[in-house]
Amino acid sequence: MKGIWWKTTGVLILVYVFVAGLLTPIKPGIMAINPSAARAGQALQIKVNGYNTHFQQGENRAWLVQGADFVWPAQSAVATDEVNLQLDFTLPEFLPADALRQEFRLLIDNPTDGRIVSEQTLAITQETSNATQGAASWQAATISELHTRRGMAFPHLAQLRESIRNLYFHVSLWFAMTILFIAAMVYSVRHLRHFREHDDRMAKALTTVGLLYGLLGLATGAIWAKNTWGDYWSWDPKQNMTAIALLIYAAYFVLRSAFEDPEKKARIAAVYNIFAFATLIPLTYVLPRMAESLHPGAEGNPGLASADLDSTMRMVFYPAIIGWTLLGLWMAQLSYRADRLRDRLLNDF
Amino acid sequence: MNLLRETAVLLRKEALLEWRMNYAISGILLYVFSTVFIVYVAFAQIQPQAWNTLFWIIILFTSVNAIVKSFVQENSARQLYYYSLMHPIAILLSKIIYNTLLLIFLSVLCWAALSFVSNNPVQDTGQFVLAILLAGLGFSITFTFIAAIAAKADNSATLMAILAFPLVIPILLTLIKLSANALRLLNDTGILQDVWMLVGIDLLLLAVALVLYPFLWKD
Repeated sequence: MKGIWWKTTGVLILVYVFVAGLLTPIKPGIMAINPSAARAGQALQIKVNGYNTHFQQGENRAWLVQGADFVWPAQSAVATDEVNLQLDFTLPEFLPADALRQEFRLLIDNPTDGRIVSEQTLAITQETSNATQGAASWQAATISELHTRRGMAFPHLAQLRESIRNLYFHVSLWFAMTILFIAAMVYSVRHLRHFREHDDRMAKALTTVGLLYGLLGLATGAIWAKNTWGDYWSWDPKQNMTAIALLIYAAYFVLRSAFEDPEKKARIAAVYNIFAFATLIPLTYVLPRMAESLHPGAEGNPGLASADLDSTMRMVFYPAIIGWTLLGLWMAQLSYRADRLRDRLLNDF
Repeated sequence: MNLLRETAVLLRKEALLEWRMNYAISGILLYVFSTVFIVYVAFAQIQPQAWNTLFWIIILFTSVNAIVKSFVQENSARQLYYYSLMHPIAILLSKIIYNTLLLIFLSVLCWAALSFVSNNPVQDTGQFVLAILLAGLGFSITFTFIAAIAAKADNSATLMAILAFPLVIPILLTLIKLSANALRLLNDTGILQDVWMLVGIDLLLLAVALVLYPFLWKD
């Protein structure tokens, strides 16, 4: 039972990834606030639609906030159910600065959910400005005794919401794929140095699993895109480049099948594998960063921006990469053995 | 130094060979002209957007056809003779340089032919020439190396297309963007970044090709 420990570790890590990744709730957040514009001095009623919130469990308090200095409290907060809250404000006459239109965020606090800040802003307009008087009234109120939410939760991001869990599958599979392709490249280099059959078989097995992971990464990405962008395939630069990268690696197997002589096949396949890896780097890690894309963490980053990743997500994300990689190595090992048995059987005849 | 001298000698041999067996180059020239003519007849009026796409597609297919013969035109006995005299890197390098020059020549010719039958939408000639130079270099490195791989198999023409097209797409996409900018189809002030990107990809592929070729040529 050689190597049983790392296979077990890989499977256990993946079980943890599936359980923690799928069952941990998303942090409470605000889906929508209505209306999204108001005038200074007005009596304002805001309807808040929350996600994963518990508005009926305890007292809700709410403020309009701008930066760290300016706050204005709500007069009353009435929860119609767990996710709907009705807030009443009497806005002050003047806004804290001279601009006639200013944006504010909504801060809601309750004992179960802790503090929630809306991503959507409320625009308040004023007809004349009086910065001193405005600043004074907005500084009169203070925020005190905010609650903190207990327990593990993933961040609530406006576009992603529940689909943020795809990080543990889609993104982790891509990372694992890259690791497997690097390993295949290393075995190809080793084959060119020593011309051993073993190294070529390993390179082939690792490339097979890498390609499988690439397809799975593309599939999980497409399912996510269907729900977020509206289409499985929308010709996003990132989708295109990865599809091309997979074509390059698919050609590796076509190349292998073009040769009869096993030694020649192994040597040329190793050469092509290294060449393919050299093109994979600009294709998936450099070019997509230069193109405009809808992909999360766009504007220069192929994955989620690191600011979006909080420590709770890291606790699942990093193990997920390790878990998928170990599972991939296991599959590669099985493929390697099957390959060797097939060759041995063929040689007997 | 020795390597450079060997490369220069081989380069001269390539040019001489092309000149003496001129059916290959005439074939490619005929290929360019007939493609341009078919495109012209089919489109009648070519808009700049279509012109840009067509130009690069013609160049792509012409390049594959021009380069696929690189390692199969001479018989294996004579190739063995070369390898016994010269360093394999000199052989690859001479073919890459020769093919680069050939592709640049064919691109300029194709540009002239397209301009002759339809029109010349190129606004920024300098930038377009730069695109052609980078295209010649990038296509030549990729296709020459792939031709060396494909030449090892029996069905080299099919294998060449399967292996080369996906590999060349990043270069091609950047080139199309660069030349779209030269045609003023888009106005990108950060185009220099794309130029460096292309130079970077070309150098990376060249380095990998030179390192790997000594393992490839032996049968």
